[in-house]
Amino acid sequence: MENAIELRDLTMGYGNHTILRNLYLNIKVGEFVSIFGENGAGKTTLFKGILQLLPIMKGNIKIFNVDVTKSNEKTWLRSQIGYVPQRHNQGNFPITVFEATLLGRWGSSFSYFKKPSAEDKEVAKDILQLVDLSHLSHQDCRRLSGGQIQRLNIARALARHPRILLLDEPNTHLDIESQQKLDNILHSIRKEYHLSILMISHDQLHTRRVSDRVVHLRNGTFQKDLELVI
Amino acid sequence: MTLLEFFKVPIFQRALIGAIIAGGTISLLGIVIVVFNMTTLRFALMHFGLLGGAIGLSLGANPLTAAITAIAIGSLLFGPLSDKFKLDTGIIGGFFMTGSIAVAFLLFYKAGVPALDVFSLFTGSILTLTNSDIVFVAVLGLIILTTYFTFFREIQLIFYDAEQAEWLGVPAQKIRNGLLFLTGLAIGVAMKIVGALLIDALILLSAMAAMRIAKNFKQLLVITSLLGMLTTTGGLLLSMVMDLPTGATITLTGVTFLLISIMIPTK
Ligand SMILES: Nc1ncnc2c1ncn2[C@@H]1O[C@H](COP(=O)(O)OP(=O)(O)OP(=O)(O)O)[C@@H](O)[C@H]1O
Ligand SMILES: [Mg+2]
Repeated sequence: MENAIELRDLTMGYGNHTILRNLYLNIKVGEFVSIFGENGAGKTTLFKGILQLLPIMKGNIKIFNVDVTKSNEKTWLRSQIGYVPQRHNQGNFPITVFEATLLGRWGSSFSYFKKPSAEDKEVAKDILQLVDLSHLSHQDCRRLSGGQIQRLNIARALARHPRILLLDEPNTHLDIESQQKLDNILHSIRKEYHLSILMISHDQLHTRRVSDRVVHLRNGTFQKDLELVI
Repeated sequence: MTLLEFFKVPIFQRALIGAIIAGGTISLLGIVIVVFNMTTLRFALMHFGLLGGAIGLSLGANPLTAAITAIAIGSLLFGPLSDKFKLDTGIIGGFFMTGSIAVAFLLFYKAGVPALDVFSLFTGSILTLTNSDIVFVAVLGLIILTTYFTFFREIQLIFYDAEQAEWLGVPAQKIRNGLLFLTGLAIGVAMKIVGALLIDALILLSAMAAMRIAKNFKQLLVITSLLGMLTTTGGLLLSMVMDLPTGATITLTGVTFLLISIMIPTK
């Protein structure tokens, strides 16, 4: 089976300070893998590498068999991956839930003078339905709860119909109920979009509940002992 | 004089045109200051302008032109400097603020600039606008409107989530630095129109009020611009009719609008 993400001998860091050492990981198409690890383990750094926001030191990263560390196909890479960053900004100016979702499609069909098309709007509407925010379409983002913001962030990341979703600690600061709702939504979007998901989480129980596989990042490498297949 | 007679005086005509253009466009940059939380930076730019003014006064040049030039240079530096050294714009701002004010006072002392001249830097007036000032304000206003129009969605993306904007391929840093530069120019113009001490009235107050009322970005732009225009022209007319100092009257008009916006219940 084809791999959605493939890390080979990946070494990364900042300046000459190495954070991740000789990582190997395969994520199959359609698989949901969670990365578990302490603060500062290098989880976000790994995402930055996959997204090519940070240069790598050694090894390579393949996305659907394309070595993104060698090819210069940034536009293609952007169309493949939806990214929900760790720091969740809810904006401090008036913008509606619908508009914020629509902005997630920037660059795919509209930009600068080109206005969003009817199709763009249709897609945004469908996605809001999927993350259960339809009823809040016209709500000002400044007045959303933590769980609602999280769902909106996922909606924005999905707006360009990526094939891979990277989630950086989507469940922090959520109460049990919002977490469960998020889990259900992840479960259904995964089916709907045939997504391969890589999620970072601090919560071991949570990762085991929602994902197919959990990998443990520690001291710059994946720990074999904690890897388990459900 | 009645209001009708005022309209026939060229000084007043220029002031009115300046008020309409500056109020309607410069106010839009207040949004940048509020969203990026740049209150320190804006304060620092003002002090930087003061340093420019001090240099101008000591050299016998036009202090306001020197001030605006200094602010323009300062605002060109802020964005790239904070990117390069990974510092928060607040720290960079604090650095420039204290440094420039100290150097300004040294210059005042060494050049023996009279206190009254120094004071004039703080108290610009819309009634002293020259024709070339009006042209400058109009060009700046046009650039501001064009920028918001061209990058309408890109600016929203950067305001909302700079990290995702970068990931989607928006030239986030360039647009942000462009906005910072325009904001610097606007602060310079505001120094001329209302004086350094009352800059906020022109730039910040209407954006702050509109933030509370608007429901989306388009409304935010329209309401900010309208409130800005109402503040400057309303303040100007009021000061004429009631024979009050213009800068202060414009500011009080702005404060009144902000108060009203706070009292409107948000649903
Ligand atoms: N821009 C940077 N420059 C230098 N070092 C950095 C930078 N960003 C992160 N680091 C360092 O790299 C290490 C890994 O950081 P990273 O953000 O990847 O951790 P993380 O596993 O995501 O942690 P958390 O669970 O707290 O989000 C940390 O020691 C951190 O201090
Ligand atoms: Mg992290």
